[in-house]
Amino acid sequence: MISSGRLRAPSILIVHPDHKTQRTVQRVLGGTGYGIDVADDLGQAVRLIAHLEPILVVLDGSAMAAPNIKQFFAAAKTRGAEACMTLVGAAQLEHMPRILGLGAVTNLLVHPMPLLGEELTITAQKLLRSDLFGAEKYLLWGTRLCSTTLTRASQRAHLVGELAEQIRTRGQSARVASMAMLVTDELLSNAVHNAPVDERGTHYRAELARDAELELDARHEVGLRWGCDGRYLAIEVTDPFGSLERDTVLRALVQNDVKDSGGGAGMGIALTYRSCDHLVFNLAPGKRTEVIALIDVRYPHSERVPASSYNVFVERS
Amino acid sequence: MPDMRGRISIEPQGDVLVIQGAIDKTAGLTALLEQARDRRLVLDLGGITFINSLGVRDWIRMQAAAQRGGIAVELRRVAEPLVHQLNMIIATRGAARVTSFFAPYACDTCGREDSLLIDAIAHARGLSQLEPPAMSCAECGAQMVFNDFPERYFSFLSV
Repeated sequence: MISSGRLRAPSILIVHPDHKTQRTVQRVLGGTGYGIDVADDLGQAVRLIAHLEPILVVLDGSAMAAPNIKQFFAAAKTRGAEACMTLVGAAQLEHMPRILGLGAVTNLLVHPMPLLGEELTITAQKLLRSDLFGAEKYLLWGTRLCSTTLTRASQRAHLVGELAEQIRTRGQSARVASMAMLVTDELLSNAVHNAPVDERGTHYRAELARDAELELDARHEVGLRWGCDGRYLAIEVTDPFGSLERDTVLRALVQNDVKDSGGGAGMGIALTYRSCDHLVFNLAPGKRTEVIALIDVRYPHSERVPASSYNVFVERS
Repeated sequence: MPDMRGRISIEPQGDVLVIQGAIDKTAGLTALLEQARDRRLVLDLGGITFINSLGVRDWIRMQAAAQRGGIAVELRRVAEPLVHQLNMIIATRGAARVTSFFAPYACDTCGREDSLLIDAIAHARGLSQLEPPAMSCAECGAQMVFNDFPERYFSFLSV
């Protein structure tokens, strides 16, 4: 075990069996200015965490198969950890169902070897700075984001088609445009129909037909922004309700069955997750929900992994 | 450039129903079963540009009704957006037989990306071993590379 010191201020705890990866992650996260503690396995981590107050714990994907993983999550929560981030390499994809099924991993970064430093840094900085919102954080400096506001539900189909045409006009492939259409359609549909909630917590538009016309007044307007920096196409959808909850997201990601009746099919988040490379939820309860889908536009796909990352960030009250 | 979110159109061409455009809530796919001949329905899906979750629900209903009614469904020239759904949601596959489908290829030499048709029957052996057929670039003639993960893209063929 490598431990960086005896800091007992809020710190970051890394649990990873490979010392090279430990050091790489430590160097990346060292840039945050927080103290870093490192454990080789969950047993060490459980013992160590009793003396720590980690704001963030970073776990190797293989730790998810350990028998004491739930004990560790419970200990991390007790010690005040704001988020659990799991790193999954290309050789560890078999752990994905277990990770998703646990419902405790709020941030999952799937990465080719050895590490996707940008995503790790962005995730840590967002958590540590409590600065969650905006697709700009995932794009190169200066990338222009196109912006529009949905004021009628029937605009959705037109906006989705227009977005696809603009993406194609900018030289992206039909594959990218197709993924962008699906992601945008599902996110807009969720924001228009599932997000609105009354003071009793009733989602009063959830069962309305998705093709019915709805005027979206200032309270119901939905924001759409998108931009591409040559690596990621980012699509960001924002609603002003903030009704989407962390546990709802974690359940929805693993959804496999289509609802046979009702206004929606109950698969929007799951399809979006499986159609992009990285899905980010920024949740400000009662204030706004922002969902950012990132589609990797690079080809060939040698730097990609056949699984997707996600983050669920909740704004501190 | 086609209107990628355009409404669905269905046109009979001989024994085949050619479907183009977007599959969403308005598609009404189950009605297609009425056009089955000798309990056989052949769909050409090369023109499908988009399918959302409500379209997926409609598609699953159509597949389930076909199975209940003993109608054999053959899917030809399945477009990438639909292949994507067949891979993500097992229920979309029903008992349908896919005889050909489009797949993404890219050219390392000139950078061109294309969606190319694969004959699932002629290449069945290679596909079962997750080996995409070789394709040449229409622009420069170089050999193209398969531009997705075979274990993911061909998973719909394994059922």
